[in-house]
Amino acid sequence: MDARAKVLGLTVAAALLPAGLVGAWGSSARTRLAESSAAPSEVAIAAVSNDEYCTPQLKSVVRRVASACGLVQAEGGRGCQPTDAKKVASLSGGDFNALFRPLSRRAHIVQFDTDVAELDEGAKRLVETAWSDQRGASFFFVVARASPEGSADHNTKLSRDRAQAVLNHLQERFKDPELEKQVGLLWLGEDFAQLGEEFCTWNRSREACTPAELNRSAFMAWIDCAI
Amino acid sequence: MGATFSAVSTADFTQFLDRQVHGLHCSFVPGAGRELGESGCRTVLMSPYSSYFRDRVWGGIPVALWALAVFSYLVARAGAPLLRGSTDRREAGFLVAATGLPLGMSAVYFALSLHVGATCKVCVGMYVSSIVAFVAAVLAWRQTPAPSPEVAGSPAGWFAQGVGFVALSTAVFLAVTPPSDLGKTGTCGTLVQAEDPAGVMVDLKTGPTPAIEVLDPLCPSCKALDTRLSASGLGQELGLKGVLFPLDSSCNWMVTEALHPGACTVSEAILCAQGLGEKKNPAAARRLLAYAFAHQEQLREEAKKDPKALRALLEKDFPEIKGCLGGAQVKNKLGKSLRWAVANALPVLTPQLFVREKRMCDEDTDLGFEYSLAKLLAAGDGVAKKGVP
Repeated sequence: MDARAKVLGLTVAAALLPAGLVGAWGSSARTRLAESSAAPSEVAIAAVSNDEYCTPQLKSVVRRVASACGLVQAEGGRGCQPTDAKKVASLSGGDFNALFRPLSRRAHIVQFDTDVAELDEGAKRLVETAWSDQRGASFFFVVARASPEGSADHNTKLSRDRAQAVLNHLQERFKDPELEKQVGLLWLGEDFAQLGEEFCTWNRSREACTPAELNRSAFMAWIDCAI
Repeated sequence: MGATFSAVSTADFTQFLDRQVHGLHCSFVPGAGRELGESGCRTVLMSPYSSYFRDRVWGGIPVALWALAVFSYLVARAGAPLLRGSTDRREAGFLVAATGLPLGMSAVYFALSLHVGATCKVCVGMYVSSIVAFVAAVLAWRQTPAPSPEVAGSPAGWFAQGVGFVALSTAVFLAVTPPSDLGKTGTCGTLVQAEDPAGVMVDLKTGPTPAIEVLDPLCPSCKALDTRLSASGLGQELGLKGVLFPLDSSCNWMVTEALHPGACTVSEAILCAQGLGEKKNPAAARRLLAYAFAHQEQLREEAKKDPKALRALLEKDFPEIKGCLGGAQVKNKLGKSLRWAVANALPVLTPQLFVREKRMCDEDTDLGFEYSLAKLLAAGDGVAKKGVP
């Protein structure tokens, strides 16, 4: 082979080598792309929470409250109207409270003075803290109670006013159009699902925790259940 | 040596054309040191300077491919006198000029690496190879005699031969790599609820085309997307709003751990800077986001050590957010930002870019960013964009 042929051979080899390498790499990428395109995506999709504590019974209560308060209607929900809690819950008082026990970390209890439905400063701060911790929850329940002093009718009205006071403060402070679709109010008066001393360890707006003081209250919690 | 380094770099680039995540060779030893995480090599590869015609070809044509073609050509040109056993000053002079091309490009790319703020070890290998080739060519030229009749060809012919090397490699690259248009643009989802009734979006850019970016201020990929958007020149086309989606379990229930610790606090700080009421200060929010991008690693480390210290650091550097950061109002706002993603059933990842409510496919947000963005922009009513096929 003469020198000219050798030079030509070298030139052709030098030209073909990068082209061949690129050809091989490019074809390989094309094959991998075709294979990966057929594989399903494994990325999670953003969704509301549905925690483990969402038992069928709790979901049932949530659904009943949400329906009674017009929270689950797509458009023009009527908001929360006075509700007969016993009918909505369809449970004994003890069973009703037991449903909310897993919420110890999410729930807050604001306490009121005797025969008073206004929030004090500590209660307002606690309401705001509770509301701001929505995370993935869909519904915010306010369950108001009254201690047994006074007539049952008066206490039912008082507990309703206490629940309403929480809602009013949220509306005033956050001016959130979503509020009407997320807040469910329940007022239990004095004769259903009174809170026991075990709730004294929960997050409350006051130190005092006699049974009477504990039930002059509104229990608030975001419910992490998808219904 | 230069051909080897450029071959490694071209191979690394080409593997990304399958639209997947890969490791990169990042070592002064060609072919060694494959790395999967962030590195100077990755930053340089993903920068807009690693390839050309990015708005016409998915990922563009890698400059390393042309380097490979040029170094291969230099091997052929330098080998010819050795095989022939003779050369002359004219041929050696041409070789000096030819080696000047990679030398010049190395100087340009070294300056660009300073601009990008990252150094690629494989690229340094090419720079050094270019210098060595040039010096060797100069030394050879100084020792070669006057024109010899044994040396056939002319500088114009040799130059054309070099152009042929580059053209052949480019043609093969375009022919065999995956097609740019897989027909997926605009098919990776649309927003069902683009409105922002809760006022959670942050105004990032003020261009004419409405766009939304779902981002985490401490996510490196979000920072990289921001850099690519700015470098592409297409950012000014976008009226871009940001939706904060921190991948941090301290506020985001959709992730089980803090992928980017501190991201919730920094997101709150951005919302505070913008203002929670009717009166907004988007410039302040943009400043805070730019600060977060610039100090991502430091902020993540700070949050890991002590979340309170991170808050104190942010309040020190941005006193206007004091009294807002950590409060009920801003937490509520950030929650609504996350719920915006729920309302649109978005994948739990960042970044995500929507142009006119159409989602850019995830695989298009790195190398194929300019191509895909140009296509999404061109898909708009009567908006003609340059360079889109």
